[in-house]
Amino acid sequence: MKELLQIGLQIGGYSLALLCIGSFWIPKILRWKEHLNDLPPLMRELWWTYSIYIWSSHVFFSVLTLGFGDWLMSGSGSAIAMNTFMLLWWSVRLYLQFFGFDFSEITKNKFNCVGKHLLTLLFIGLVTLFGGLVCWNLGWL
Amino acid sequence: MNRELVEIGLRIAGLILTGLVLANFIAAKRWDYAGSLGGTKLIVRQIFHVHCAYIVAIIAALALISLGWPSLLLEGGFSKVFCAFFSLFWLSRVIVQLTYYDRELRRNDRCWDIFFLGVFLTLSFIYALATYYQ
Repeated sequence: MKELLQIGLQIGGYSLALLCIGSFWIPKILRWKEHLNDLPPLMRELWWTYSIYIWSSHVFFSVLTLGFGDWLMSGSGSAIAMNTFMLLWWSVRLYLQFFGFDFSEITKNKFNCVGKHLLTLLFIGLVTLFGGLVCWNLGWL
Repeated sequence: MNRELVEIGLRIAGLILTGLVLANFIAAKRWDYAGSLGGTKLIVRQIFHVHCAYIVAIIAALALISLGWPSLLLEGGFSKVFCAFFSLFWLSRVIVQLTYYDRELRRNDRCWDIFFLGVFLTLSFIYALATYYQ
């Protein structure tokens, strides 16, 4: 099981890095600039600020998963807390993918369709990974 | 500086962060987020609310761990990276406020502007201290 989780951490870390790189295309695909034109300046500023902070959190998760795998599997209290936080983070995101976001306004083409399915797959994988890590650290696996 | 003082500092940071969580809800009302987003597409409104919720979740989780278990942030190794990240996180928030946010808006609410700059600087300083002293 330990080896499996270690492989999962590598795959998860690189997938998160790809997500961070891929995120640069999200504003274009969702035509943020066009949609945000109607917003007051403060809301536009908040929008970009929040987006960048969320993105930087994903970068942090990627660095953590790739560079601190041993710590994430160490069984310490802080490792359990961090894994639980990331499990909740991605579980909520997975829920939103299926039941939250309204994707009807996104242009339907092959690229967007593949992207959406890849994202869903990534979120499922991350929930499985961090769920597994929480169980490992609690001694259930 | 000893470990106990840094732990007290982290608990103070936890209290400040709890205040920030509450301030997010007040800001949503004060700046009428719902009304401002009213004319936009549903996906835009959803993304904004999700981003807000995730930001509040980060701050709330950090508040919880800083208030309840500050010793976890002083274990060395990864804790050092964690504190360094949040020191940069809050320092970058100061830079965003000074360089990106609308100057006129800040001028109109100068007291709050200075107050929040102080809050973010304090948080950045406390997590920098926690990074250094472990």
